[in-house]
Amino acid sequence: MAIFDPHIHMTSRTTDDYESMYAAGVRALVEPAFWLGQPRTNVGSFTDYFDGLIGWERFRAAQFGIRHHCTLALNPKEANDPRCVEVLDVLPRYLAKDGVVAVGEIGYDSMTPAEDDAFARQLELAIRHRLPALVHTPHRDKLAGTRRTLDVVAESGIAPGLVAVDHLNELTVGPVAESGCWMGFSIYPDTKMDPDRMVAILQEHGTERMLVNSAADWGRSDPLNTYRTGQAMLAAGFTDQDVEQVLWHNPVAFYGQSGRLVLDELPGFTASAETFAGNSVLRGGRA
Amino acid sequence: MRLGYGTNGFANHRLDDALAIIADLGYTSVALTLDHQHLDPYAADLAAQVAAVGRRLAELDLRLVIETGARYLLDPRHKHQPTLLSDDRGPRVDFLRRALRIAADLGADCVSFWSGVTPAGLAPDEAWRRLRAGVAEVLPLAGELGMPLGLEPEPGMLVERLGDALRLRAELGDPAQLGITLDVGHCVAIEPDGVAGCLRQAAGLLVNVQLDDMVTGVHEHLEFGTGELDLPACLATLAEIGYTGVAAVELPRHSHAAPEVARSSFEALQAALPWTVRAEAAIRREPTAIGELFPAAGREVGRRPLDPEGDPAGLIAGTEDDRARSRLVAVLVEAAPDQAAAELAELYRYGDDAERRGVLRGLSVLTDPSEAVVEAGRALVQDALRANDTRLVAAAMGPFAGAWLDQHAWRHGVLKCLFTGVPLAAVAALDERRDAELIRMVAGLAEERAAAGRTVPDDAIALLQKENA
Repeated sequence: MAIFDPHIHMTSRTTDDYESMYAAGVRALVEPAFWLGQPRTNVGSFTDYFDGLIGWERFRAAQFGIRHHCTLALNPKEANDPRCVEVLDVLPRYLAKDGVVAVGEIGYDSMTPAEDDAFARQLELAIRHRLPALVHTPHRDKLAGTRRTLDVVAESGIAPGLVAVDHLNELTVGPVAESGCWMGFSIYPDTKMDPDRMVAILQEHGTERMLVNSAADWGRSDPLNTYRTGQAMLAAGFTDQDVEQVLWHNPVAFYGQSGRLVLDELPGFTASAETFAGNSVLRGGRA
Repeated sequence: MRLGYGTNGFANHRLDDALAIIADLGYTSVALTLDHQHLDPYAADLAAQVAAVGRRLAELDLRLVIETGARYLLDPRHKHQPTLLSDDRGPRVDFLRRALRIAADLGADCVSFWSGVTPAGLAPDEAWRRLRAGVAEVLPLAGELGMPLGLEPEPGMLVERLGDALRLRAELGDPAQLGITLDVGHCVAIEPDGVAGCLRQAAGLLVNVQLDDMVTGVHEHLEFGTGELDLPACLATLAEIGYTGVAAVELPRHSHAAPEVARSSFEALQAALPWTVRAEAAIRREPTAIGELFPAAGREVGRRPLDPEGDPAGLIAGTEDDRARSRLVAVLVEAAPDQAAAELAELYRYGDDAERRGVLRGLSVLTDPSEAVVEAGRALVQDALRANDTRLVAAAMGPFAGAWLDQHAWRHGVLKCLFTGVPLAAVAALDERRDAELIRMVAGLAEERAAAGRTVPDDAIALLQKENA
C-alpha cells in the first residue's frame, strides 16, 4: 500500500517518524506551512522556515526514501499580527519555487478582517501562480467558518477543483462536497477525526475528492494515521483500489494540478545524495 | 536575442511606417536594408535622414542591424551589381563604407554584406582574390568605427556556405571586426550541417541572424511553417549558444502583404520561443519579474550538466538551469542597471541552492559590471565560500571571483576547492592569480593530508608541480 500524506508537518517530527512512515508505506507527502506553536514576530522567521521547507526538510525526507513537497503561505492565525503580514510581499518569490505544490495553509482562525484580507490576497496569488490552495478550517465555530470559507473561495474566482478544504468532520463535509472543492480530513488521536469515523464518512460520501491526512505536527498526533485509516477501510469492506484511490491517487491528482509534483525524482533536490549543503543528517553515513 | 523584421519585406512602405508597424507587432529590433526608398545612402540630405531615423528607432526602442543587399541601389540595370567580385569593385566598397558610417551613427549592431556571384568567365581563384582584397579594403574603417561587419553566406554566391566564410576570415587573419551573418533558411537549403550545426559552429562570431523557412535545395524565402525549418529547435539553439543579438525575419518577396506576414511571423515566433527567451523579454519589460522567473528555470529548461562526460556534477561548466539563470542575470543587469545589485542580493537571499548558483554564475557572464554590482557580488561570493555545498563553492570561484575577489579571500577559495573536492578547472584566473602564499597554503594542505595518511588531491599535486617546474 503506497501512501501519500497530503498534510503533515515533518519539521516537528523525528527521524524515527520518517523510518516508521516509510515502513508503513508512506512514499510521498506534502508539508504545509503553518504556525510553530510559538508565535513568530517578524518576516525573517517565515522566510527561514520557508527556506527549510524547500531545502533541508526535503533533503531529510529524501534520506528516508520519502518525496517531500510543501505548500507555502501566511497562516490564518498569524495573519492577525501586523509584524507578520509583510511576508505576503515576499511570498510570490517562494510560490515560484520547485517543490511548492500549493498555497497553504490559508483560511480562517478567528474570522477577523485581517484574516479576510490575507485569505483573499492569497487566493489571488494561487490563481496568478496557477497553484491549488490548501484551506484550513477553524477549530472553533467550525460550521459557520466552513460556510464562510466556501463563500470567499467562490468570490475569488478560483476553480473549486483547485481548492482543498481541510480538517472537516461529519458536520462540515456536506457543504464542501456540494461546492466541488476537495475534502480534507485530519485523522487525530482523539480530536478532529478518527479512522473509524473517517470510514463512515467515506461510506456515506464516497471516495472521490477525498483526502486523508495525519496533520501530524508538534502536538499529540500520529504520522501513521493515514495507514491506520487504510486498514480500517479494508476492515470495513473497501477494496484495495478504494484505499489506493484515497491514500495515493487522490492527493496525487489534487497537488498534481501544480505541475510540480514529481514523484519519480526529487524536484529541486540538487545537492549530492549524501549531504545537504555539505551537511549530512545521518551522522556517520548510510551503507 | 532580439526578434526583429527586415525592412526589405516592407519595400512598399515608407520607412517610418514600416518601423512603427514592426514595433507595434512586438518586435524589438529591425534589419534595415539601405535602399533607394529606405535611407538612401546617396541622398543629398543623408545626415538629416539618419538623424530622423535615429530618433524614430529610439522612440520605438528598436535595436538595429544594417543590411546591404538592395537589388538596384548601385546599378539600376543590373541586380546586385557591382559586387566585390566585379572588374570595378569601387562603388561596392564605397557603399559598404557608407553603410558602416550610417550604422555607427545609428548605433547599429553590425553591417551585413555578401560576397556576390562570380561573374561569368572569371576564374575562381581571381574571384576569391578580388573578394579578399575588397573585404580588406573595408575592414579598416570597420575597425576604426568599432562597427562589426557580418559576412553572410548566400546560395549561388562565391561565399555560399559558412565554411567559405570561415575560410575567408582565416585567410584575412581572423580579424575581430569581421563577424558572420547567418540566414537559417539558407542553412536548411544548402548547409550540410543544418541549422543547429551552423549556429553552433558560428557561435562566437555571430553578429546577425536572419530567420525564414526554406526547403532543402531551393533558395526561396518562405513563411514559417511552410518549409522544413524546425523553428523551436532553431530558437532553442540560438538561446543555447547564448546569442543575444538581432534575429530578424527575412522575407524580401512578401512586401505585398507585409503587415499580415509580419504579424503571422511574430505569432509563429512567439509560439516557438524557448522559455529562456520569453523570460528575458519579460524581464526587459519589467525587471522585477525575475523574482518569480528565476526559481522556475530548472523546471523549464532542465537541470542536466552541460558537459555530462567531462563534468558530470556540473562543477566546471555548470548545468542547463545555471546557463538559463545566467542569461536572466545578464538581462536584468542590462535592463535595470540601478536596481540590479539589490535584486541580485535578493535573488541570492531567497534562492534555493540552484538559484544561488545561478546568481554566482550569472555574475561571471557580466562583461562590465557596475561598482554596485561588483560590491554586491563580492559579498555573495564570500557567503558562498563559507558554505560546504561543492556546487556553490565551484560557482563562486568563476570569472567574477577571478576578477573581483581580493587576493586573501581568493586564495582561501582555491584552498576550499581543494579541501572539498572541487576541481581546480572550476577556478577562473588560476594561472594569473596564483602566488607564493597560495602555493605555501597548498603545500601545507598536502603535508597535513600526507601526515594523516590521507590522499592528497591530484589538483594540489599538479599545482605544486606546476610551480616547481
